[in-house]
Amino acid sequence: MYKASLQFGATTENLPIIRHFVQTHLRERIPSSLTLNQITVAVEELCANSILHANGEDPQKELRLELRLQGGTLHIYLYDPAPPYDIHAYPSEPMLLRADTDRPGGFGIYLIRRIIDKINIRRRRGGSSVYHMAKQLSDEVKS
Amino acid sequence: MQVEVLPDTTETHLKLGIIGELDAISAPKLYENLNRFLQQYSSARQITLNCRGLTYLSSAGAGILLMSIDNLTPRGITLELVEVQPEVYNILDLLGLTKLMPVNHV
Repeated sequence: MYKASLQFGATTENLPIIRHFVQTHLRERIPSSLTLNQITVAVEELCANSILHANGEDPQKELRLELRLQGGTLHIYLYDPAPPYDIHAYPSEPMLLRADTDRPGGFGIYLIRRIIDKINIRRRRGGSSVYHMAKQLSDEVKS
Repeated sequence: MQVEVLPDTTETHLKLGIIGELDAISAPKLYENLNRFLQQYSSARQITLNCRGLTYLSSAGAGILLMSIDNLTPRGITLELVEVQPEVYNILDLLGLTKLMPVNHV
């Protein structure tokens, strides 16, 4: 099993670092550039939601991202000090939010759903949360 | 992320080149730049955004593109994306934006 983790403060300034982390650790293991980009986008969207909505862009709040590649499955864990938000409560189509709010929104969650096979959210003792996303990759993947 | 006016821009056809990554930090800057250039080229009826140098797009960037279409269409201005990299095109396609605006990929 391949494993890598990154600790970061809850600020959007860290989004490029998160992208770099994902691409650096998975580039040699995921041969398809389209798949690697999709995973990078899904991870960034998950982290951006936690940074902006769950932690109110407070750089003092520390999150931990963990990538685990086991067999042909990539597991992505995000350990967040804030209570979980209900990712399943978002409308399934991003355009629906436009009608409600008169501005585009909901794209990030929509992208995660399109890219990732499975997402679970768990509330931990003390009120923090763990987001777990899983994606089945092709047989070419090197774990 | 940088946006620049391309040399073959005309009075009615504004051609812009975008270089870098469009994420939650840089997306608002794209919107500001588009508005600034539109003030400068107020007769423009068509905007072409050359995306050869755009290497990454997140949902925030896609949201800004959609907001731009919503603002430009009622003013009779069309927005098109050309030379979009495959990875960026794939994200636009997943979001359905390739059906809302002309998008030409590399």
